[in-house]
Amino acid sequence: MKDYIATIVKNEKIAENIHEVTFDLGEKANVRCGQFGNISVEGTHLLRRPIAICKVEDTKVTFCYQIKGEGTQRLKMMGAGTRLNVLLPLGNGFFVEENEKKIALVGGGVGVFPLISVLRQYGKDKDVSAYIGYRNKGAVCGVDEFEKANKFVGVTDDGSYGEKMNAVQAFEADLKKGNRPDVVLACGPTPMLRALKALTEKENLLCYVSLEERMGCGIGACLVCVCNLTNGQHARVCKDGPVFNANDVEL
Amino acid sequence: MANLSVTLCGVQFKNPVIAASGTFGFGREYNELYDIGVLGGVSTKGLTIHPRLGNPTPRIAESRGVILNAVGLQNPGVEHFIQNDLEWLKNTGTRVIANVAGKTLEDYKNICAKLDGLVDMIELNISCPNVKSGGMAFGIKPETVEEVTKYAKSGLKITPLIVKLSPNVENIANNAKAAQNGGADCISLINTLTGMAIDIERRKPIIANNTGGVSGAGVKPIAVRMVYEASQAVDIPVIGMGGITCAEDAIDFLMAGATAVQVGTANFTDPYAMPKIIDGLNAWCDKHGVESVSDLTGTLQLNGK
Repeated sequence: MKDYIATIVKNEKIAENIHEVTFDLGEKANVRCGQFGNISVEGTHLLRRPIAICKVEDTKVTFCYQIKGEGTQRLKMMGAGTRLNVLLPLGNGFFVEENEKKIALVGGGVGVFPLISVLRQYGKDKDVSAYIGYRNKGAVCGVDEFEKANKFVGVTDDGSYGEKMNAVQAFEADLKKGNRPDVVLACGPTPMLRALKALTEKENLLCYVSLEERMGCGIGACLVCVCNLTNGQHARVCKDGPVFNANDVEL
Repeated sequence: MANLSVTLCGVQFKNPVIAASGTFGFGREYNELYDIGVLGGVSTKGLTIHPRLGNPTPRIAESRGVILNAVGLQNPGVEHFIQNDLEWLKNTGTRVIANVAGKTLEDYKNICAKLDGLVDMIELNISCPNVKSGGMAFGIKPETVEEVTKYAKSGLKITPLIVKLSPNVENIANNAKAAQNGGADCISLINTLTGMAIDIERRKPIIANNTGGVSGAGVKPIAVRMVYEASQAVDIPVIGMGGITCAEDAIDFLMAGATAVQVGTANFTDPYAMPKIIDGLNAWCDKHGVESVSDLTGTLQLNGK
């Protein structure tokens, strides 16, 4: 973990309301898939933007973000050459064990971007299937990455791209055909993760989910971004997560 | 190289910069970024007799220049802190201030008694705006400020007591005096201001608790004014806080009457905020021919009327 003074190399729209920003850190960072960075957007915003790391190439790190509030509006306006503080890598990230050969990625909304980092880390050595749900055709992005998986099923809520279904339904359909993974790695809106958790519990599948919560410090000190564990305790999404075994968290 | 050390109630701090309670945990996470032994002190996450899970999420929201939080005193309990974190924190070389809260007068006395002699100072949180029973009831009126201070003090034989004052009051000077009358060795202020931020799409407050404590750069002028008024009203030392982001901000508070300062929200914006403030204080003192940072305390001169 280090607070880099990072220089924007590229910052452009890749889909409806989604932008991709690439920073040059000036040195190589040791990043695991599923980890995130906390990006300062300066101005009157005192909190940084915690955003999943999508790609790491040499000294460059790429994040994809949804334009949602004033902070991301501000980030969107920043061009190449802008220098910002970026604290990374944060969180635990996704771990795939040696004996877990078949991975299913299930993602929706902005949750698809950390899954790109998983594919980039494990795609060569593992049999990866990606089930990715988008709102509509305009929101489709990252396809060039997901197509590198052994199998890619892209679907939309309105059927304007791929079949009309959500990512969990796409995964379930393939599961019923006998395509059973050793581990499921997921990120997306809470209702999607909830449905996935119910399915993987029923099917007795190992499933890890990456969670989102409004954060303060991003490093585990302020106890703002907690989630409820099934054992009645709280865990810090930024430090103990964002990736949790689906069995361990209440969704 | 200016002399940055300050003394509060006989306790020497290597510099006047202290991490504010609730923004810094017990220091372990920030210690992964820098040696927290460089800090004057750390005021711990608010401790209670029993562990607390805190409020539902979301616990934080933003507004321009400020944030709002309602964590609700999530903490592992005072025993857990003593067993697992205290020695580690002491060994970093920073001064340890245990921030404590309670539901009842007895709670305040008991938790103080438990920590007496174990920490450098105790900071009484009688002004947490986010927990119904988290002390706010004691922090508003001068009579109850004095009473809770007396109770807390009755549990202490060794460790000096700081009373952390709420800004959500009628007259800050009266509450400062009440803390002094109750036996406080020091006061700190300001705790957060109660506020609300609304998600207009949902027509609901962003924070699950509906209201939250407002902190950050935007509250600084209010905090400086209150530190000035409180320090004029008492003889005991004052720790100032509220929106401190840089060394110059810290100097505002020192001139207004504070002996030391606490830094909270700025740690979120820049995790290195406090070491930078310490370096900046040294540079400012050197540039202005100030030999000792403690010479700045209370040097504010009001404009003539």
